[in-house]
Amino acid sequence: MSLRLVRIDDRLIHGQVVAGWLRALGAQRIVIVDDAAARDEFLREVLTLAAPSGVPVEVLDLVGGAARCIDLAASREPVIVLARSPRTVLALRQAGVPIEVVDLGGLGAGPGRRRLHRTISVSADELAELRELEQLGTRVEIRIVADDRPIALRSLDPAR
Amino acid sequence: MFRKSAGLGVGLVLVFALAALIPGPVLGAGNGASADTGRIAVSAWQAALIALGYYLANSPWLFGLAFFTLYRPLVAGFFVGLILGDPAQGTLIGAAINVPYLGFISAGGTLPADASFAGWVGTTVALAGHLDPTKAIPIAFGLGLLGTIIFYARMSLDSIFAHWADARAEKADIGGVALMNWLPGQAFLFAASVVPVFLFALNGPSYVQDALDRLPLWTVNGLIIAGGILPALGIALNMRFIFRGSAIPYFFIGFIVWTATRGSLSLVVIAALGLALAYLHLTFVRPVVTATSEPDRELQPASAATSGAGSAAGSTAAGSTVGSAAGSGVRVTRGDLLRSWALWTFFAHANYNYERLQGTGFAHAMTPIIKRLYTTPDEIRAALKRHLVFFNTEPNFGNIVHGTVIAMEEQRANGAPIDDDAINSVKSGLMGPLAGIGDTLSQSTITPILLALGIGIAGGTAGGSAVPTLAGATGNPLGAIIYMVLVSVVIVAIGYTAWMQGYARGRTFVTDILRSGTIDRVLVGAGVLGNMVLGALAAKFVVVNLAPTITISGAQLNIQAAVLDPLFPGALALGLVVLTWWLLRRVNPLVLLAIFLVGSILAAYPFFGPGQSNAGDYSYQACTSSLLHPYAPCGAPPAPSAKP
Repeated sequence: MSLRLVRIDDRLIHGQVVAGWLRALGAQRIVIVDDAAARDEFLREVLTLAAPSGVPVEVLDLVGGAARCIDLAASREPVIVLARSPRTVLALRQAGVPIEVVDLGGLGAGPGRRRLHRTISVSADELAELRELEQLGTRVEIRIVADDRPIALRSLDPAR
Repeated sequence: MFRKSAGLGVGLVLVFALAALIPGPVLGAGNGASADTGRIAVSAWQAALIALGYYLANSPWLFGLAFFTLYRPLVAGFFVGLILGDPAQGTLIGAAINVPYLGFISAGGTLPADASFAGWVGTTVALAGHLDPTKAIPIAFGLGLLGTIIFYARMSLDSIFAHWADARAEKADIGGVALMNWLPGQAFLFAASVVPVFLFALNGPSYVQDALDRLPLWTVNGLIIAGGILPALGIALNMRFIFRGSAIPYFFIGFIVWTATRGSLSLVVIAALGLALAYLHLTFVRPVVTATSEPDRELQPASAATSGAGSAAGSTAAGSTVGSAAGSGVRVTRGDLLRSWALWTFFAHANYNYERLQGTGFAHAMTPIIKRLYTTPDEIRAALKRHLVFFNTEPNFGNIVHGTVIAMEEQRANGAPIDDDAINSVKSGLMGPLAGIGDTLSQSTITPILLALGIGIAGGTAGGSAVPTLAGATGNPLGAIIYMVLVSVVIVAIGYTAWMQGYARGRTFVTDILRSGTIDRVLVGAGVLGNMVLGALAAKFVVVNLAPTITISGAQLNIQAAVLDPLFPGALALGLVVLTWWLLRRVNPLVLLAIFLVGSILAAYPFFGPGQSNAGDYSYQACTSSLLHPYAPCGAPPAPSAKP
């Protein structure tokens, strides 16, 4: 078994996740893997309280997150895993977390970032990390909300 | 890349505009009114007013409330009705068109369909063409899909204007940044909205009417059937948010109350019943557990105070600023705070774009604060650039972020050690979670419930038949007006409170309000009320009329009218709604929409037996041998509309 949804989104929890994906997947749990959020007591609490009641949120650092994700992948429980950057997801994958699909849900624009599609922009490093994920057998898709048709990264990758 | 996509957008809008322009003259359909059909000729100035209304619905000029008011087909229908001289019928059509959009939300730059295009153009087409509201539903839904072209063109093009704002920021030009947030984006939106909608409003009615006249009559029947089935999709989309847990039975209560009273109770009465039940539910069935009442969280209000005042640099800023540190340094005045709030409320989405979403809107809102706090060009430049970055939250409840950031800027200007990182991390850390709560509150709870109430009132009294049909109903403009007032008051109150409390209490306010269980209580109570109202609305708008008959001891009986309806009136409609809700977990809504449309039209095909003749007023002819019937199962035609 592998994880239902691993989403890369620099906003972590927000409307598209709470109002859209959670319901669409029928997920009952959100796992956030983010070192900075895991360290910040305030942010951790806000993220925990921001999810609808009855949906537990776990905010974990990379090490704890990898172990937890491996357990969850084996358990078949519908769960959404959120990370802020491709680097985190690549690290999870390299730590042995089975990930079938990575969803690019929100990566903001900025200097040195190339826009791939609508609200999805990547830096050169991030693009390299995503390509590496693909080489490890994980599909990388852009799918901002659950009702969107997924777009494969390969079809937008400027190098191809 | 921007230029490419922008060019594409502009091109699409032009094509779209031409498409509206050509058919009228080519097909030779005139605009002339004919008294016997009840059609209305849309004059050029009426079309211009409708086009202006559509632009306003997407513009910032109504204190940020356009998205909650003019954007909604219910309200659009009322105003189109006013413009064309029949507000009651306009409101009824708008209400019907609005039902498939009940589950509509737009979050983070995505838009499933342009409900405002469906509302403004759809009502015009239906009202001027004297179409009955049921027939207008599928036509307007198609228009709504077309309208997204304008939204996506604008989201692409407006990214360019964010860079124009960057250039002004580099020159420490505060007014220039503010101007770039609205002038170019709105100029484009005005042109891209007014031209196509004007042409559609002018030519659309005769074009659509002409197309309907040329279609085989059974397909027109199919459209009417689709008009009874598409509302199930909108209701089910909204059920995804509230039809769960212990609130589920209230949906059925709402449905049964409506069918049992044959629609003779006003939806206001059902909503009042829902409020009473919500109170009982919160008291006895599902009392909200506040975080502080759990043993392991006993001490948290105290620790909140500590974390609010102590931990990171960011939190000291927002903890307890107001009133303290009086005497020295610059302070943000109450006027600055109000001006900043007003700018945000007006212009948050004036330059909404894919690259930064509300980024330029945030910078625009900060301009009074920056003017007050910073004097040197270097400081101003840095502050403008700091706030021009990507930003996206729910623009009302999310205002806690702005209040908090203003408090931090104030501290920073007075020498507190708050760097860009501290401010950025508060913005980027809070904007997502608060948007999650805010969207749940405003877009998927408050708006649809108030809309459902308004639509119910607007739908007016039914024609008196067992299964009420819209064709015989008289609209009630009060539905649109009550909705507008209620939603405006609630949304502004949330936005103002969040802004001011965010400034005064910052992070402490965030944790306090989240822990208090208030939001949970509102959501649970609203879930009960929402299910009641939605259930009633499903009974009112979802229509399934099964055609097949069975023969029992020589008598031919319609399965629905003779067997199902006596057992459980509306059982098929209820079943369809619940089935749609279940399917939506597995099937994309657009795919489901296509299945419903094609299915409705195919089901209207007269497969066997008599009744295939195209002669006469086929659309009202009873007992044709198709699978589904328009209006009523093998029954009499609806009472003709009371319109002159």
